[in-house]
Amino acid sequence: MLDRIITHAEVLRIVADLAPEHRIVGPVLRGGQYFYEILTDLSGLDLTFSYCVYGPRAFLFPPTETLFQFSRQNGRFESTLSIERVPTAFVGVHPCDINAIRLLDRVFSKDHRDEHYLSRRECAFIIGVDCAKECTVGVFCADMHGNVAKDGFDLMLFPLEQGSGPNDMRYGLVFGSKRGEVRLQKGSIGAIPKAADERAMEEYQRRKEAAFPHRLKTRLEELPSLLNRSYDSLLWEATARRCYSCGSCNMACPTCYCFNIFDETDMTLTRGERKREWDGCQLEKFAEVAGPHNFRPKAASRLRHRIFRKAKWVKDQSGIAGCVGCARCDRACTAKINSVEIYNQLAEEI
Amino acid sequence: MKPKIAIFSLTSCEGCSLAILELEDHLLDILGAVEIVNFREGMTDRDWDIDIAFVDGAVSTPQDAKEIQHIREKSRVLVAIGACACLGGVNTLKNYQSESDYRRCVYGDMANYFPTTRAKPLSAIVKVDYELPGCPMVKEEFLEFVKCMLMGKVFRLPDSPVCVECKKRGNPCLYDQGIFCLGPVTRGGCSAICPTFGSKCEGCRGLISREGLAAAGVNIRETYNASVKDVMDDLRLYGAYQEGDLP
Ligand code: SF4
Ligand code: SF4
Ligand code: SF4
Ligand code: SF4
Ligand code: SF4
Repeated sequence: MLDRIITHAEVLRIVADLAPEHRIVGPVLRGGQYFYEILTDLSGLDLTFSYCVYGPRAFLFPPTETLFQFSRQNGRFESTLSIERVPTAFVGVHPCDINAIRLLDRVFSKDHRDEHYLSRRECAFIIGVDCAKECTVGVFCADMHGNVAKDGFDLMLFPLEQGSGPNDMRYGLVFGSKRGEVRLQKGSIGAIPKAADERAMEEYQRRKEAAFPHRLKTRLEELPSLLNRSYDSLLWEATARRCYSCGSCNMACPTCYCFNIFDETDMTLTRGERKREWDGCQLEKFAEVAGPHNFRPKAASRLRHRIFRKAKWVKDQSGIAGCVGCARCDRACTAKINSVEIYNQLAEEI
Repeated sequence: MKPKIAIFSLTSCEGCSLAILELEDHLLDILGAVEIVNFREGMTDRDWDIDIAFVDGAVSTPQDAKEIQHIREKSRVLVAIGACACLGGVNTLKNYQSESDYRRCVYGDMANYFPTTRAKPLSAIVKVDYELPGCPMVKEEFLEFVKCMLMGKVFRLPDSPVCVECKKRGNPCLYDQGIFCLGPVTRGGCSAICPTFGSKCEGCRGLISREGLAAAGVNIRETYNASVKDVMDDLRLYGAYQEGDLP
């Protein structure tokens, strides 16, 4: 069910309207690849972009951030919570990245409310854009149900037909939130969909279904049991021979949420900040504890851990799959370790 | 009592000890917290009662070897700073050439007057308590080290490779351009400064782990179309790879 029909120019009007209170983040072309960056000029915005090298998570969960400031003066210890509220409007977020944000939302609000993440998330406005076909060879978003976003956005654009260029696009639009709806009403933007538009949307969905190849030999629902049977597979050792434990796969993954905490003090040693930074389970010292004892001292045990997290454990814990199939891990891996190959080889072994 | 600090240079460009002077904004704070008793780059007075000695440069001459032994005897804590002191640094390039060649190349007709040895890191000669690697060392890491010493906090080098910081900065990966960057096998802590400015990491902070190096060996042979010799040359630039062959 479509809520509006909207042109590229009208999308820009919405973004321009958000700009005074929001920093605008969208795809920017650099050296032949797209990256999510803060936009200062909307004129070149291309919502037909293929994919961004990294997901948008850095704007909601920065690589390094301050949690609180502390000081020790006259024998008293004081601390001030550091909460950053930077309203951000994302324009051009693909379904995989919307689903990744949904997972982060869940993780950072379940059991313990993470004020640092949630304060940014609550004032984020997300304009998604759907993928009519796979963005690049190798993605397995269709297998992971990552290429369809049902919620987690404020507005979602569907490129029902291909225009002659990015500025010529017409989109079917779906509201994902009240504030999304309000944005359109405010400027009376967009046209009410006609029956023909609804038919075009149905046609689009059918085309989309056929345009995404399935790369996994195992259905999403069966991945957990596949992994259960593969814990002792020789594949982990054989594949991890190539693994640098460099953590690039974790850093590039839009669903990775692990972090490490450390303190930084100034030279007077009386004032400082407690900070956190991205961490990753492929790094050698990730699971090292006092002693020192390392629960996963070998690259093979770490590789297995990551794959189990992505296809089983995160889902077991949070109810949302830990992987959206965007293949950023695979593309980022300088050792060409490929998760699709891992799943398929495991499927063949059994 | 302020800790007594000394700074020495062996065979090197002395860039690392200069980097300490470049900490202008923090220099006064540091001077307030410690007493510098011996620093050729910055002062003329000499005192040999040393709590913490920072030494840059490799051991590359018989004289260097004597000097580092003397420094070790006089210092409670010995810190190797920079690639030369931690790994041998660019000095180790000569270890792969014939002695007569490199001596003639550097000293010409005077070659016989300057005895030199295989270049080595300090740890090959004396016990080193801490290492602050990099070419040059990372100033912020030096500051962090000083703070840890003053607070009595354990100092640890970053234990993840350069790729982590590179990705945190949102850089494109040089592998996408077919460039063999040493980031995956090199200890981070430099904010991935080289890839950030478009040059491959050359491993100046040393190898992060044997496991990573072993993976490089496998990948060069099985994953990439790369020449083992080229990669070995890269790994040798800073002596990050000092003895033996790629596994
Ligand atoms: S594990 Fe890989 S494919 Fe899955 S969400 Fe992360 S980067 Fe994408
Ligand atoms: S991975 Fe799938 S959902 Fe994500 S951008 Fe590519 S095609 Fe779209
Ligand atoms: S990116 Fe590849 S080499 Fe690096 S840790 Fe991940 S799987 Fe290992
Ligand atoms: S450019 Fe080098 S350091 Fe950066 S991610 Fe790629 S391999 Fe790692
Ligand atoms: S990127 Fe590599 S070569 Fe450059 S400073 Fe860092 S460790 Fe050294």
